[in-house]
Amino acid sequence: MSPKTMAKPAKKTAKPTQPAAPRVLNLVQAVNEALDVAMGADERVMVLGEDVGRNGGVFRATEGLWKKYGDARVVDTPLAEIGILGSSIGLAIDGMRPVAEIQFDGFLPSVFDQVVCHLGRIRSRSRGKLSVPLVLRAPHGGLIHAPEHHSESPEAYFCHTPGIKVVIPSTPYDAKGLLLAAIEDPDPVMFFEPKLLYRAATGEVPAGRYTVEIGKARVVQEGKDLTLITWGAMTVTCQKAAEKLASEDGASIEILDLRTLSPLDLEAILASVGKTGRCVIAHEAPNTGSWAAELSALIAERGLLRLLAPVRRVGGWDIRMPLFRLEQYYIPDADRVVMAARKALRF
Amino acid sequence: MPLKTVASLDVQRLEILSPDGTADEALMPKVDKDLLLKMYRLMSQIRAFDERAIMLQRQGRLGTYPMITGEEATQCVPPLCLKPADWCVPTYRGGGVYFARGMRMRHALLYWAGDDRGTHFPEGNNDMIFSIPVGTHLTQVAGLAWGEKLKKKGGVALTYCGDGTSSKGDLHEALTFAGQFKLPAICIIENNGWAISVPRRRQAASETLAQKAWGYGVRGLQVDGNDCLAVYKAVSEAVARARKGEGPTLIECETYRMSHHTTADDATRYRDAKEVEAWKKRDPISRMRKFLEKRRLWDDKKEKALAAETQKWIEGEIKAYEETPAPNPLNMFADNYAHAPWSLIEQRAELEEVLKFKGGAKILMELPPTEGRFP
Repeated sequence: MSPKTMAKPAKKTAKPTQPAAPRVLNLVQAVNEALDVAMGADERVMVLGEDVGRNGGVFRATEGLWKKYGDARVVDTPLAEIGILGSSIGLAIDGMRPVAEIQFDGFLPSVFDQVVCHLGRIRSRSRGKLSVPLVLRAPHGGLIHAPEHHSESPEAYFCHTPGIKVVIPSTPYDAKGLLLAAIEDPDPVMFFEPKLLYRAATGEVPAGRYTVEIGKARVVQEGKDLTLITWGAMTVTCQKAAEKLASEDGASIEILDLRTLSPLDLEAILASVGKTGRCVIAHEAPNTGSWAAELSALIAERGLLRLLAPVRRVGGWDIRMPLFRLEQYYIPDADRVVMAARKALRF
Repeated sequence: MPLKTVASLDVQRLEILSPDGTADEALMPKVDKDLLLKMYRLMSQIRAFDERAIMLQRQGRLGTYPMITGEEATQCVPPLCLKPADWCVPTYRGGGVYFARGMRMRHALLYWAGDDRGTHFPEGNNDMIFSIPVGTHLTQVAGLAWGEKLKKKGGVALTYCGDGTSSKGDLHEALTFAGQFKLPAICIIENNGWAISVPRRRQAASETLAQKAWGYGVRGLQVDGNDCLAVYKAVSEAVARARKGEGPTLIECETYRMSHHTTADDATRYRDAKEVEAWKKRDPISRMRKFLEKRRLWDDKKEKALAAETQKWIEGEIKAYEETPAPNPLNMFADNYAHAPWSLIEQRAELEEVLKFKGGAKILMELPPTEGRFP
């Protein structure tokens, strides 16, 4: 019996329609709404994790869902991350659509065996017979004065792992559209949510179902002198840096918010860097072995002759994330992006 | 053939001090007057500290802080069964444990204020910084105990985990090692009823957490975690057995988290106030006070004197914490390796450039001196 026939029949999902009138939501409300829309449309969608039920999640991402959909579909699990991800893999193989939450980025490493050895491999190891259509959600990044191990940027570990997709929105619109796309995706999706932007990022979000295609970057602003490639909360930092570079240096900066880290939107990256000839990649993780390193390699391999300056990476230092009194010196700020951009512009 | 019983569980619970302060004399551990008073002092002082720390956080003078209130007996008493050279590894909710081990609370405040200089323990103690991703320390503690066993000097390792953490695989592996290698280890499950919003009954379907020990050939028992005398008796006996080479013990201390998970949490969203009220009657401190008063070891005058002394002590710790100069940002590069590689030398220099970019050439002279070892 194929997993599909074992699953409960899904309620007919409404065909994509014109999105309804937008309202202003913040990023965590957009995540919440995506979960609500997905659960309302498809009985197979379930939410599980620590404190996601009655408490509505420590960031309130699942607020109201437990009351609306009940204990069986919004599950407060025991405190066991391997249990959360491992059982989600089983549920997904069996035809459910689990959306698992790992409460903080710093708690993700404990699920690594499941991620590296299983999550992305089950489709190929079963020669296409089984699949793992689950979403693993986790907050991402620092600068909220959180305790130790609550401000990490572990995306490179996941991007390095074959068979899974990695997504990180920076606007409420993208958060909702990408999460709905992730839940509908036939493969596992690691969905990072920049916690600095949970409440700080607000924007218009249409009601109802719409999706943002996984694998497509977003041009935040167009420019001709230099491309800032970024993702997550660093997108906002890059906007500040671009303003400074425009006003103080008269530089025209293009910003590319990747939105999906794996698979990369190679076309958008090469188009932008090909146009500007200069590129700075800004992110929160330590540079060495980071996803910025992969981007830099790709640009060098495929766009070298269009470059006017070496690609520069601005990231965290190659040390552990310090406690929060020093986090603003660890995670790049607009000044560090400006410094790197100037080096590229004056090369 | 009829089924045979091949193993059976006999999970015992130890209680000595009833909430009205009466002790079961038959079960009394060997404790002298000074030790009894020390238990009471530690518990009273750490509660007063806890209350002030919460206020500091609410006033914006401290970061996210995990409350201790209600769990003083489980936290302050077990360290009294150890020698300084024994290993002690609490959880993040371990302020009372560290305090009983002699940590200066100015350092605890620094840590929760996001300052790496807060992980400062008394010289000569084998204390370890807790792990914030819960449970990951448990197998390490098995290793600490293993090392002590190999040294053959009678050293032991004591650790804690919460009722939530008891659901994690880490405890399974730690107990497997502890039982298999008969390690001198004591693990206290500080069952305070709640893992953030998830109650104990949703963690495991088993009647007790203590009975997990049986799966690994480890001795286990449940203790009233709000009863200092029971906690003392259970832990001191477990430590004595470990020292003699008789192996590990898992002790479930049943206590109660009287407050929120941390200052970032709001327990009223998910917890019935009646449950909290019921636990107030089982408070570890007032119970011990009644016991001491019955024995004429304590009275209102002594209580007043202790309160005054505690306030003075807390003010001193807060002052020392708040007068600690801001850390030099360059500190973060220190002590990452015994010998820093070229990359860190280069990146530290880059941070100096960043600081100059922000604050001008003079800035490096104006920063407080760097601390730690580099390169």
